Amino acid sequence: MSIQIKEVSKTFGSFQALKNINLDIQTGELVALLGPSGSGKTSLLRIIAGLEEADNGVILFGNEEMTHIRTTERKVGFVFQHYALFKHMTVFDNVAYGLKVRSKRERPSKKDIKRKVTELLSLVKLESFADRYPSQLSGGQRQRVALARALAVEPKVLLLDEPFGALDAKVRKELRRWLRRLHDEFHITSIFVTHDQEEALDVADRIVVMNEGRIEQIGSPEEVYEQPNSPFVYDFLGNVNVFHGRLENGKWRNGDQSDAEQQALAYVRPHDLVIEREKPTEDAVQARVMHVHAVGRTVHIELKEEGAERFLEAELPKEQYRELDLQTGETVFIRPNQLKVFIPADYSI
Amino acid sequence: MRVKRWKKHSILPGFGLSLGFTTLYVSLLVLLPLAMIFVNTASMSWAGFWAAVTEPRVLASYRLSFGASFAAACINVVFGVLIAWVLVRYSFPGKRIIDGLVDLPFALPTAVAGIALTTLYTETGWVGQFLPFKVAFTPIGIIIALTFIGLPFVVRMVQPVLQNFDQETEEASAILGAGRLQTFWKVIVPEIIPAALTGFALAFARALGEYGSVVFIAGNMPMKTEITPLMIMTKLEQYDYEGATAIAAVMLIISFVLLLFINGVQWWTNRKYTHS
Repeated sequence: MSIQIKEVSKTFGSFQALKNINLDIQTGELVALLGPSGSGKTSLLRIIAGLEEADNGVILFGNEEMTHIRTTERKVGFVFQHYALFKHMTVFDNVAYGLKVRSKRERPSKKDIKRKVTELLSLVKLESFADRYPSQLSGGQRQRVALARALAVEPKVLLLDEPFGALDAKVRKELRRWLRRLHDEFHITSIFVTHDQEEALDVADRIVVMNEGRIEQIGSPEEVYEQPNSPFVYDFLGNVNVFHGRLENGKWRNGDQSDAEQQALAYVRPHDLVIEREKPTEDAVQARVMHVHAVGRTVHIELKEEGAERFLEAELPKEQYRELDLQTGETVFIRPNQLKVFIPADYSI
Repeated sequence: MRVKRWKKHSILPGFGLSLGFTTLYVSLLVLLPLAMIFVNTASMSWAGFWAAVTEPRVLASYRLSFGASFAAACINVVFGVLIAWVLVRYSFPGKRIIDGLVDLPFALPTAVAGIALTTLYTETGWVGQFLPFKVAFTPIGIIIALTFIGLPFVVRMVQPVLQNFDQETEEASAILGAGRLQTFWKVIVPEIIPAALTGFALAFARALGEYGSVVFIAGNMPMKTEITPLMIMTKLEQYDYEGATAIAAVMLIISFVLLLFINGVQWWTNRKYTHS
């Protein structure tokens, strides 16, 4: 089911959590709401679920207006960061809960409930845990129970609030893949909130980058990563080096500017930074190698821009690093392969 | 080796010392006085003991004491949970004052409470005159007094549990389509049952031993409104120390069995949620 969000705003006391949010989500899409804490992403998700009411604006599921429909009747699935399982119920009863609370008329028979729950438990690979209590499960298992519980009511929309935030790195990665597979299989329109850019880039069809209650950019993972439309998005999606300088006839000139009006910032990804021994051009940037971190296929090199006291980060393939034979403390020249310039005046915060 | 098994490694040492002190303290303060009751009783003949504790007036007082205490504890569970709920979930002007008032039955000398309640509930009292039935000098009056003194226990036990209650579980229940009553009965009530049971046990135990606030409102009519602690006092006033301790011993044993039973129920409900 598609979701339309039109002009939604929300304030908590004097804090404006959401400012005129407009967002269209297609049927069957997996969308990530990505942003730092306090960016409003969780508030937006809770408004979609009906756990919070928007001050103004409209929410549509398909063609149906949902703005004033109660949570109970919205038929969404929701997964919480801290699982929110019912501690006093077994795994089976947790998953069955949504079916058991239905009115007599709509409630499936006991046999059907049992069949459905068993099916879901096998989907999340927890068949043998049906009689356990949540306290006897690991974090990853608990979150899988929470997912099965959310799916039991056959929601048209699945909402996930930092679903993997409380788990350790390895389990997180595994569950991420698993969520992707699940989505490819069932095509439930899904929105998940995360502050982890890697997670968003890895799983989502589309990413909505949020900052301070506004949407900064909407696009496919490639789009937001390759063509960020603001310094914020550039900075938030992956590591970035910032150079201070100015634009001269469309060409970048490095160096601090005394005249603030001319000041511009160039953003370069670490893997777009080329390190050279020979001075390539007159105005090449000189930097000193401070630290080399050479575990894995990519070598991370920490540099310090000469005369500017700013740290830079470069990434090289291992072969290239061996060829260069860089030593800590040595002075090298750096050149950006690709950069994006933002004039700070346009983006003053 | 034996001791080692109970000893857990800890950065704060002192298992032996603190356990020793605890044992001594509990012995001196609780066990020894209680043991005296049985020692005193032991000086009676079996027949004399049996006659003292099965006297019709005494039997009637057991029924009244345990019945009224049980009723009062039940009332306290229902309304204590309600008060705790209101105090935790809502903010309203005067919340702190109500929160403070809850503890007042603890602080008030029980005789004062008894006199105040009696004045209110006699047939001409402020409240009593509007009631179609007699309250003061009947078992109902006793239940009211016992409810009064037991109120703080349930509130104070349930309050922290509600405070720590994860509201997301409630939201999860609502999203899954449960109505408000279903969420309350299926999600919230099971969580507060262990604490409510503890509160019930405490209020019940306190009510059993209560004397000061009850004697005024009870009227102390033989066979009708005499509570067991009053029977003990009566015996003492007649210098029948052995008879008094015999009744006390019976009361002690019944209370102990009941509290043990409540503890068992509690252990059983607790076990359901916290095996890890």
